[in-house]
Amino acid sequence: MMTQAVPPASGMLRMCRILEVVAHSPVLKSFLVPRLFDALPGQFVNLWLPGIDEKPFSISGIRETCMELSVKAVGPFTRRLIECAEGEWVGIRGPFGNGFPLEPGALLVGGGIGMAPIRFLAQMMAERGLPCTLVCGARTRADLIFEPELLRWGCHMSTDDGSCGTCGQVTDLLDGLMAEHPASAVCAAGPEPMLLRIMEFADRWSLPYHISFERYMKCGIGICGQCCVDGSGIRLCIEGPVLNRDQTRLVTEFGLPHRDASGLRPGTPASPLGKR
Amino acid sequence: MNPIQTTLPGLTLASPLVLASGILGLTASSLARVASLGAGAVTTKSFGVEPRAGHKAPSILPYEHGILNCVGLSNPGVDQMIREIWAYRARSVVPIIASVFGKTVEEFGVVTARALEAEPDMIEANVSCPNVAAEFGVPFGADFGSCAQVTGIVKKNAGRIPVAVKLTVNCPAIGRMAGVCEEHGADVITAINTIGPGMLIATDVRRPVLSNLTGGVSGPAVFPVALRAVWEVRKHTTLPIIGVGGVTTVDHAVQMLMAGATAVGIGSAVHYGGVDVFQTINEGLREFARANGLASLGAVIGTAHSEPPPRGSGA
Repeated sequence: MMTQAVPPASGMLRMCRILEVVAHSPVLKSFLVPRLFDALPGQFVNLWLPGIDEKPFSISGIRETCMELSVKAVGPFTRRLIECAEGEWVGIRGPFGNGFPLEPGALLVGGGIGMAPIRFLAQMMAERGLPCTLVCGARTRADLIFEPELLRWGCHMSTDDGSCGTCGQVTDLLDGLMAEHPASAVCAAGPEPMLLRIMEFADRWSLPYHISFERYMKCGIGICGQCCVDGSGIRLCIEGPVLNRDQTRLVTEFGLPHRDASGLRPGTPASPLGKR
Repeated sequence: MNPIQTTLPGLTLASPLVLASGILGLTASSLARVASLGAGAVTTKSFGVEPRAGHKAPSILPYEHGILNCVGLSNPGVDQMIREIWAYRARSVVPIIASVFGKTVEEFGVVTARALEAEPDMIEANVSCPNVAAEFGVPFGADFGSCAQVTGIVKKNAGRIPVAVKLTVNCPAIGRMAGVCEEHGADVITAINTIGPGMLIATDVRRPVLSNLTGGVSGPAVFPVALRAVWEVRKHTTLPIIGVGGVTTVDHAVQMLMAGATAVGIGSAVHYGGVDVFQTINEGLREFARANGLASLGAVIGTAHSEPPPRGSGA
């Protein structure tokens, strides 16, 4: 079942103040901003800190009057962003991308901060009374986001160090869950190695899948070409970030380092190999 | 006979629509996709001798009437672009134009010589980026002498490959600039690049939004300016023109042809019409040709300069 598509994004900037900050841990926070538009789980926005930088973030939830963005401090921008307080101005452009379909009976799998769009998806499916099985993985308990909420939803958890849920990788749980209670599809977001394992899992069980991928992005409006994936050349900011099996099959760059701001893939040898 | 076929030096294009430089032109896969969707030719993102990250975000910003950008010539460098062009050529027979830039006249020469390794169908010298003035100084396209020098060295180093020079309206007289390019060996004029530059301020925080404060303006807002520039270039040279700037509709494309363009660049229209915009405008151009009894769209090129109004038009 596909949710109704939102109208095409204009990509224009809108300014708003941060309404509330929820700290999950010193490096994980959620920011509530006004609900500037409707969006689907899996869609993202570009968030601008005036005078600093602009980066894409998945929407982690939408309520009546507000929209939630969840951030992990991993680089200079996100470290600055998680210091932001209630009342500060931010710029928002979006919503960008296609979003997840709502598949009753799906396995929803989030890894690390990849839980952000999966949590929004779970929230929307719960609101519509659609059954799903929620699975979440993280390195340690400290890297988990939305833990109380996830426990309430009966989420299956795994951590690399066993500090919460099963010890191991989130993909280790999937075969067991599938044997116990066959799913209709898989929706996933998280680190790419995990996503590739989920694709293998889904292929093994002949399950349809919808997986959210990340790449360096600039414009969000489908013109700069920075997020085009090798193989099909489709734009992750428009036709993605959520790709299905037919779409991922045409991608040839999974598992490789991502192209940087220049468009160069790190590790590419200096001299051209292309010639004949 | 394909009524919308057009020609540029050494090339036959199945459609006059050319993917403009800077749009979806970074990788072989992206360029090949655009080619498969109906572009008559594709242009790479402008590249130089070394990789460049360009300006920080926000570097691309749509507003009510167009798009501002201060991307700042980000590109993976000539080594990588040679690979991309080769990979593209393995996948598509649609002509590919290699857009090059240099920080100096000499660099234009070097990057052109290197770009030949990829055997592109045309070299386009981008002398008109408005976003690197702080680093590069006044664009070469704003000065008759510099523009002549760049054209000369690119032409010399391009050998048998045709050379287009991409001009800016930010110059004393674009028509005369095109004439200078023609004198120094250009085979094609591409007009225009983004205009301005412009600025947008986020009033809530009293601060310009673009990281580089200003950015070139593209999209529907610039179409009349681009059209006038193509008209002027046509007045001053006999060279074929790729008319670029804010073309988003079939009517815009026809206007460009009538002003004197042989081919029509498509850039920001990808935002307004999606990647299907090539197909949409191609179909509209075929319909225009059919409705006007034209065996070839070529029959309207430059007609706004000379032709009396068609009979019965009421004019």
